[in-house]
Amino acid sequence: MVEAWNLIIGNPVLNVLIASSHFLFGQFGLAIIALTVVVRLVTWPLTKRQLKSTKALQDMQPKMQELQKKYGKNQQKLQQEMMKLYKEAGVNPLGCLWPMLIQLPIWIALYQAIMSALATSPENLLNLAQRLYSWSIVNQAIPLNSHFLWLNLGGQGDLVLAIIVGGTMWVQQKMTQAPAVDPRQESTSRIMLLMMPLLFGFMTLMFPNGLGLYWAVSNIIGIVAQYFITGGWGYLKFRSPFQTTPAKGR
Amino acid sequence: MKQPKTLLLVVIALLPLILVSCLPTGASVSTGWAGTAFRDGTIYVGTKDGSVVAVNSSSHSQQWDYAFNAAIYTTPVVDGDLVYVGTYSGQLYALTTARGVERWVYPRTGSMGAVVGDPVIGNETVYVASSDGSVYALDTTYGDLKWKSESLADKLWTSPVIAGDTLYVSTFDGHIYALSVEIGELLDWSFKSDAGFASSPVVYEDTVFLGSFDRHLYAVTVGSNVSAWRFPREKPAGNWFWASPLVSNGTVYAGCLDGKLYAIEAKTGEELWEFDAGNAIVASPVLMNNLLVVTDESGTVHVFDLNTELEEQAVPLKSVSIGAQVKSSFCGQDGLVYIRGGDESIYVVDIDRGELSWTASLSIK
Repeated sequence: MVEAWNLIIGNPVLNVLIASSHFLFGQFGLAIIALTVVVRLVTWPLTKRQLKSTKALQDMQPKMQELQKKYGKNQQKLQQEMMKLYKEAGVNPLGCLWPMLIQLPIWIALYQAIMSALATSPENLLNLAQRLYSWSIVNQAIPLNSHFLWLNLGGQGDLVLAIIVGGTMWVQQKMTQAPAVDPRQESTSRIMLLMMPLLFGFMTLMFPNGLGLYWAVSNIIGIVAQYFITGGWGYLKFRSPFQTTPAKGR
Repeated sequence: MKQPKTLLLVVIALLPLILVSCLPTGASVSTGWAGTAFRDGTIYVGTKDGSVVAVNSSSHSQQWDYAFNAAIYTTPVVDGDLVYVGTYSGQLYALTTARGVERWVYPRTGSMGAVVGDPVIGNETVYVASSDGSVYALDTTYGDLKWKSESLADKLWTSPVIAGDTLYVSTFDGHIYALSVEIGELLDWSFKSDAGFASSPVVYEDTVFLGSFDRHLYAVTVGSNVSAWRFPREKPAGNWFWASPLVSNGTVYAGCLDGKLYAIEAKTGEELWEFDAGNAIVASPVLMNNLLVVTDESGTVHVFDLNTELEEQAVPLKSVSIGAQVKSSFCGQDGLVYIRGGDESIYVVDIDRGELSWTASLSIK
């Protein structure tokens, strides 16, 4: 299992990162950013589909409000009608999670690569020897420069980075998250909107800063892509009717 | 309806954290790989749980143990009635050899940075490199700081080596520095390689030998700005030269993580012979009365007779498997080799008979 993982994902990510840093002025941080861009490009079709769904959700808002008015008192019926509407429009309200889940192996491989490549412990350095390809540029790049901007990429617990990761994730989610018409859905959406940035902010504190750098850059790319595809800041400025008149929803 | 959906979302959101925590990752716990030291019938060795244990070689029983509660990568160094141990938590301890009582610790409070490379002793001074990038010189008797060098690198995980009045230090960023043993100031000469140095240096007749991350072994003449040679000349070796080489009678014996032991002429860098152990050689070779002892990671001890012709030298006289992984440095005396196995046991191999003499658990009793 471990061997297969390293052979297919772990070692390629590790070696490509190290080789990239050789070409990027010996900066491992720049190699992480380059990898982020590549991953976002590879997952672009999925992201594009997700962004189109978001746009469709935006366009569906008047219809959803109509449904809310019509079936507001019958939640079950409202749910059914909304699901029907989603289905007709080819929209998956949870679709935004798929690009994230697909990146999961990359996160794990990146986490491994950072811990190994930056030799955060003597064991990691010795283990690194068994995982490197025989490419001369890879071997000449060792040891890597662990400093990038203000960050020690192998270190952890950088609060500024955690805030950037959490903040950019919140912005990205807020841009894409259509306000729910159903008060129950609204509650779930609110939890997700807060929970994910908090979770990733917390994970940034717990994991190496290099992984946090990946998340931050990935979020920023996502925000920029979202801005240009949906033609603006999306729901970032949107205020839900349930937020303005909470008494009505209950 | 609401609760299952929320639960699903929470699980999906927590999935990355759960998976990253559960799947095999690049992170490994620092457990140390302290090797063995032998003096006056006692074996001193570090353990995975952060202790040093003294084992009586006659009774095979533990005389004492001392818990540091920190990983130990340094092989204990015995000098006089003290045994010196550096810890990953950044202290250097001097314990009495007789009972394992702490004589002194440096620093008395706080940390000087993780100690990974073995300390070396000379001129009543113990020299130790630290992860803060400096070399510290401490009085052997009281542990007082004699001097601290300027920061030489991001971190120093190698051991310094003393040659005359000079202390040589290799760094991961490819430098060899020469320091005055008296006051720790940098001397005029230093050497810079394009690739970083993986191993600690060895000095033999004004030449520094050490392994590099570029899969070569370097020979650098003190005072020169270019390397005398690097081995192999053409294609790099199969992996790093992690362990310090051994130099004797004009021949360099270098174990490589590619599993090969190379015998190289010290003056020219010409290969004399090689032996493929089949498993990574992590520990430095040891010479015992013209018998060269090498261990590989799988736990096989290979003994080479250097008294024979070159062609015969490349064939091990004996090979003994201890059945446990070996990553730590080892020592030998009077025909016996003392090895710490990865299973937290000490293995004593009789190289004359070519068999395992005895073994003892290092679990703290």
